[in-house]
Amino acid sequence: MRQTQETNLDDRHAEEDRRALVRYAVLTAVLFIPLFLAFVSTRNLYPFAASTMMLGIRDTQRGQTYYVLRGEKVSGETIDLPPIKLTNALTGRSWSLVRAAVENQSFKIRSPHPANIRLAAAYDGLDKLPRAARLEELLRAWGEIYNSRLSGSSNQRLKSIRLDAYRWEGGLNGDYDRFVESWRAEL
Amino acid sequence: MPTDATTLGMVRAGVCGFILCELLLTSFSDLSRLPVTLLRPTGAMQILPWRLYDLLLTSGGMLTLKWLMVLSLFAATVGCLTSLTTKTSALLFVFYEGLLRSFGHFNHDEMPAVYILIVLALTPCGDAFSLDSWRGKTRPRRSGIVYGYPILLMRMLLAWSYFSSALIKLRVAGLSYLSPDNLPNLAIFHSLDNLHDTHFRLAFWLPHVRQYTPIFVALVLLWELLFPLALFFKRARLITLALGIVFHLGTIFFMNIFFPYHLAMYLVFVDWGRWLRKVEDYLSASRLRSPSKGSLEGKA
Repeated sequence: MRQTQETNLDDRHAEEDRRALVRYAVLTAVLFIPLFLAFVSTRNLYPFAASTMMLGIRDTQRGQTYYVLRGEKVSGETIDLPPIKLTNALTGRSWSLVRAAVENQSFKIRSPHPANIRLAAAYDGLDKLPRAARLEELLRAWGEIYNSRLSGSSNQRLKSIRLDAYRWEGGLNGDYDRFVESWRAEL
Repeated sequence: MPTDATTLGMVRAGVCGFILCELLLTSFSDLSRLPVTLLRPTGAMQILPWRLYDLLLTSGGMLTLKWLMVLSLFAATVGCLTSLTTKTSALLFVFYEGLLRSFGHFNHDEMPAVYILIVLALTPCGDAFSLDSWRGKTRPRRSGIVYGYPILLMRMLLAWSYFSSALIKLRVAGLSYLSPDNLPNLAIFHSLDNLHDTHFRLAFWLPHVRQYTPIFVALVLLWELLFPLALFFKRARLITLALGIVFHLGTIFFMNIFFPYHLAMYLVFVDWGRWLRKVEDYLSASRLRSPSKGSLEGKA
């Protein structure tokens, strides 16, 4: 009787193991085939990454634009405002969010947010949309996050927040910070 | 390669515990203040309707998401209803990481953790080192491959991240990736603004040693290409992972880029079961020694 029970248990385990192996084979294929395709096409298609993060700067002579976020306090002092201290969920991503906001990237996707479609239509199309059309909202959001951590009467609160754009003309000669333009949001 | 239920269970606890700690330290309410109009849903995230994002990017929406994730990951960490909670954790984390990538660019730091959670969700990782096993709800099976293959698969996924990263650099940039200007340019580009997470300025020293940087870049590429050796050889594993720690710390100081998830996922390379047995053996040996020591002292 006991031997029969053990044999049945063995059979059940063997059957479970067989099913587990089939599941593992499918799981391996489901993960690795899209990863391999992402690699071959050099395209990230979430959730499959092509590991394109460190590809380097293709044309090192063309130069780059970069941005510095600053705040102006009620006391008159101007401070640097690293966004990681404001939205720590965006670890390693704030720089690309700002770049995308300046370049109106959220208007250029296949299916933009309805509010973005309306805004583009109000300007008679994407071509006539001003640069950084939604940037002020982002700046204001960051400014409000900063102020929400201070009391209403504090002179450390921000009265405005701005994004300064600088140009690095390329090359390694130390000419890294030619001021280009600035966007500002009053709080 | 470990093939025991305990190692798989401890990997589950480590991976889910790490992600849980990260989430607890993250302010979802601050994230909810960002304008939804800046989102660019990426990949699979495009399937979801804008109405969902409108609801999600509110204080209530993001707090709901956070606490769902915290509850699910906590349960998965301690191994409570493991089969269910590892699946919900994987699903919620895939969604959350997709949301973050819809704001910024597609960096691949967290991606091995996403894949490892998916693997854990579909394997019997609650058969040991879990509340479920302590309550007698699960029983480890005898076949080692049931526990050993998921560990191998998780290691392969992490190794692929490095290996493919090196291959893609060589494919796209070719040997120009080894040009003396490449590393200084890349490092300086990531050190100019104040939008990165850290603001180290060591990158500006690199132009002074630019003639040596190709050697360093070549060594990094070689390390990435050889990373899969860590799957098969214990000594190679130790060297590869140690170099990985040095590399990732180096990218913080020179490039203001950090890959904490990649580093944390090195835990899949540790034979936790063996370490646990060693600790248990040590403790039982200490217990055995203590009474005799006491009796000897008594006699003295």
